[in-house]
Amino acid sequence: MYWSKRKKSSDVPQLMDVFESEHGQQGRRSHLLGDERPNEEGETSQPQHSSNIKAERGLTPKKKMKIEKDTPIIISEKPGLFSDDECPEESHNLQVQGLNITVGEVRTVSSELILSLDEPTVKEPSQEEMEEEEMDTKFLSGDKKKYVQKFRQFWFKIPEFQGWLAEGDSPYKAFCTVCNRDMRAGKSELQRHCKGAKHIKLMAKHQPLAPISLSEDITTEAGLPQSVTFVDLRSDTVTRPSRAMKNAMLEAAVGDDAFSEDPTVNSLEKKVADMLGKEAALFVPSGTMANLVCVLTHCWGRGSEVIVGDESYMYQKMQGGIAQVGSVHHRIIKNLPDGTFSLDELRSFFQDIDTICPTTTLVCIENTHNRMGGKALPLSWLDELSAICEELNLLLHADGARLINASVALGVPPSRLVARCHSVSLCLNKGLGAPMGSLVVGTQEFITRAAKIRKMLGGVLHQCGMIAAAGIYALDNIVSQLSADHNHARAIAHSVLEEHSSSVTVDMKAFQTNIGFLHCDNIRVDAKKLCQRLQMVTDSEEQEIEEKIIVMMLPITDTVVRFMTHHEVKKDHVKAVAKKLKYVIQEFDNMMFDHYKV
Amino acid sequence: MLLLWRTTSHRLNLFVFHFEIICLNKGKLNHRTMSRGVCISRTLRSWNCTMGYFGAHHYKWYHPPPPLQVGHKGLTVDLRSDTITKPTEGMKKAMMEALLGDDVYREDPTVTELERRMSELAGKEAALFVPSGTMGNLVSVLGHCEQRGSEALLGDQAHIFLYEQAGMAQLGGVQPHIIPTRADGTFDSQEIYDRMRDEDVHCPRSALVCIENTHNVCGGKVLPCHWIDEVGSVAHSLGLPLHMDGARLLNAVIASGISADRILQACDSASVCFSKGLGTPVGSVIVGTEEFIQKALRLRKVLGGGMRQAGMLAAAAIYSLDNMVNRLADDHRNAFVLAQAICDTESTNVTCVPEDVHTNIVIVNLRSGSISPEEFCARLALVSEEEAKTLGEEIVIKILPWTATSVRFVTHHDVLCDGIQATVAKLKYVIKEIDSQRK
Repeated sequence: MYWSKRKKSSDVPQLMDVFESEHGQQGRRSHLLGDERPNEEGETSQPQHSSNIKAERGLTPKKKMKIEKDTPIIISEKPGLFSDDECPEESHNLQVQGLNITVGEVRTVSSELILSLDEPTVKEPSQEEMEEEEMDTKFLSGDKKKYVQKFRQFWFKIPEFQGWLAEGDSPYKAFCTVCNRDMRAGKSELQRHCKGAKHIKLMAKHQPLAPISLSEDITTEAGLPQSVTFVDLRSDTVTRPSRAMKNAMLEAAVGDDAFSEDPTVNSLEKKVADMLGKEAALFVPSGTMANLVCVLTHCWGRGSEVIVGDESYMYQKMQGGIAQVGSVHHRIIKNLPDGTFSLDELRSFFQDIDTICPTTTLVCIENTHNRMGGKALPLSWLDELSAICEELNLLLHADGARLINASVALGVPPSRLVARCHSVSLCLNKGLGAPMGSLVVGTQEFITRAAKIRKMLGGVLHQCGMIAAAGIYALDNIVSQLSADHNHARAIAHSVLEEHSSSVTVDMKAFQTNIGFLHCDNIRVDAKKLCQRLQMVTDSEEQEIEEKIIVMMLPITDTVVRFMTHHEVKKDHVKAVAKKLKYVIQEFDNMMFDHYKV
Repeated sequence: MLLLWRTTSHRLNLFVFHFEIICLNKGKLNHRTMSRGVCISRTLRSWNCTMGYFGAHHYKWYHPPPPLQVGHKGLTVDLRSDTITKPTEGMKKAMMEALLGDDVYREDPTVTELERRMSELAGKEAALFVPSGTMGNLVSVLGHCEQRGSEALLGDQAHIFLYEQAGMAQLGGVQPHIIPTRADGTFDSQEIYDRMRDEDVHCPRSALVCIENTHNVCGGKVLPCHWIDEVGSVAHSLGLPLHMDGARLLNAVIASGISADRILQACDSASVCFSKGLGTPVGSVIVGTEEFIQKALRLRKVLGGGMRQAGMLAAAAIYSLDNMVNRLADDHRNAFVLAQAICDTESTNVTCVPEDVHTNIVIVNLRSGSISPEEFCARLALVSEEEAKTLGEEIVIKILPWTATSVRFVTHHDVLCDGIQATVAKLKYVIKEIDSQRK
């Protein structure tokens, strides 16, 4: 929790102790960006006067060193955000992520961060508070009645005062920790001060001194919210590596992959090739590149054509890269709601082959199919398709960004799903939770050519063993958690179903993996509105469900909202999301009713 | 007369060399020959290394000693490239502690921080993190040459032209128009006037000028600042943007003592690579105007360079900006020591000019007819019995053959003074051995 009060000298070391002992390791984590390395010439950006303030505040020299390191990005730990045993270090980062903070100003992020988290909840003082305020003003002796404003606690809630305001020496004084200056306690006074050029300059240069505090009483005294539960369901790519994964990365042996000398990359490639029952694999930076490399390697000559589904990621979301940079023509085939396409239609493409047509080389499938709601393609259909491809002499490529999800959902090994595919792309940063990286899998000959294409596209990463280590860790440890992700998606869908709402509906049968769609009626609510509402916390909502829950989802069409569960979403989060969704859906359902009641 | 003889013999060697490859490769002509020098893909090269070692007979003079039978136990000094550097402990720690987000949604605070710092360093409006230097250059060229039928002017020894699979032509349909490069990595800026295309239906449109600093193929040469300004003013007077392939830009900064923003003053865009001398595992940054970076962002996505939690890599880059930049001077010093040592042997077969070593790249010339680059590399990578006795240590040096008559040494962070001393000792021994056979 953000601590912006000027505390008495004895309190500060104590607080720091709490911070150090409970969150020592994690707290320091965020020093990174602000850390001024001594061998860079030029002095640290900490202004001189700040240490004076600290000295005044009675910090012991040792503690002083701790904070002096330009600390500011220490981000508050919200008690309810994650329970500590689950994933403590992510919770620091969680708030940075997804809140549309202008992250360029990481150095000054803390105050804005709090600001953006609290924005929906900052409220004007209520009537009672105003009355109380008047009573607090002091009657001074003299002929005239003179009211002197007392310092008000709720000023701490005002965004523009955050980060520098503290109580003054007397109850009628306020203190600016940045300018190190006492002033009269008065709202307009303070507003004027915070608009002053000197103050703005110092704020920009100088980080708010206040270290974070985790103790309950401080947070309540400062009047900041107790807890915000923040669940990001926009995509399963938003996952950050867990501590164990980072350890695996730290210990990885690295070499130069441009010379094929990285042992970890080589072992990952071998592992994935074995897992998918293919000869070889190639590590590339992203899923987009994996697909592009596969298509360009298959379509080695000019005048090639690939057949892709009209809702496939390769057609919709790769900027037409296959055509743009590869000069390969797309021929689209209509995707059915289960992610497949009609095989008769595919056959009909080949009835009149002559010189007018480009050479059809490749058929691409997507498993699981993202835009069809994470559908795992049926095995029987895959077998039929591969038979037709063999008959028509076509190559078959599987965009397996979430192939492992499909294998978990269908209960068959992934090698079965791609048994007759000539190439596969497999993404490590989707459900598997690695920070980045994808693999292209195929025959040895194919991979040798693919390596050449990868080099041309600029996908050769020199020491990517660390990233590969994350991939190996994910394959070993996270695959087993995928079925939980699928259950979570179904649980969220079920909570919507329970509302029997007419404004937001779900199709339970469509839930196969970790992707879910919510359908809006487009009258009371559309996709954008629903997403916006889920990111907000209103006062009445806070009172009613006694929790602040922010849920992020992604509108993919006017009426469809997509959510994806991933391994960072735990059971508690699912409960919170369900709670929030139910409340929001009720709100939309009752909207008309409330309107006419008034 | 002598010169003529040497040229002929050079030609002859080249011819034999090619002939051999073609024969051994059973007619698979997938290697690349360039108009100047020979440029063979790395695999072919290393393959030819071994084949050439056993099967080549056209080099009459040099016979390598038999290698040690027992496995190598001594020191290995890898001077093939500065890309092989492994991340240091501090860098790994910084990577682990980085704040992360999803960079495809542009939410990764560490990537944004790196981009901010780089745009400040380079004095440009904006920056973009890309996975590799090759992609940095490709994105930059495609970003500048948006229209069909564009042409980019660049030196004939440029990395973009020689070693990036002509990605700009292959993917972007941009024709490279080459200008002869001088030994110091520059080219005649007046050539730009001469080669500028006019609005003739026969001609492509000139759209970009590219330069490289430091110039890799020319031996890590730092381009003179006034020349960059001159090229910039010529290019801008013709309405062409100027792109700098600054893969080793910070080496140039350290070697010349001129700040990066001054060097890049005349450039509209630049790519800077972190996985070279700076020792970062992965990553490059391109800098330019806000508008250009927006285009580059789209191009990065289409090429598959959008990485999700790239903050870890960006953290390493930030760490290297803080800690590894000043250290580049050590690399430069080591390179100079190496060059000076070779020069001091006063050999006629293996020569090097220390004055030409500006940064961390040393090009060592081999007299044609005495020893081929592949043989020289193979010799440095093996340890003979007598050598182990004389030097008291088994030293293996890995380097790359460069042109038909030269090899390249690159000093970097993972090779400390000891490694350089060992390299010098071994080199002196090997050069003596070659000279003794040559006379």
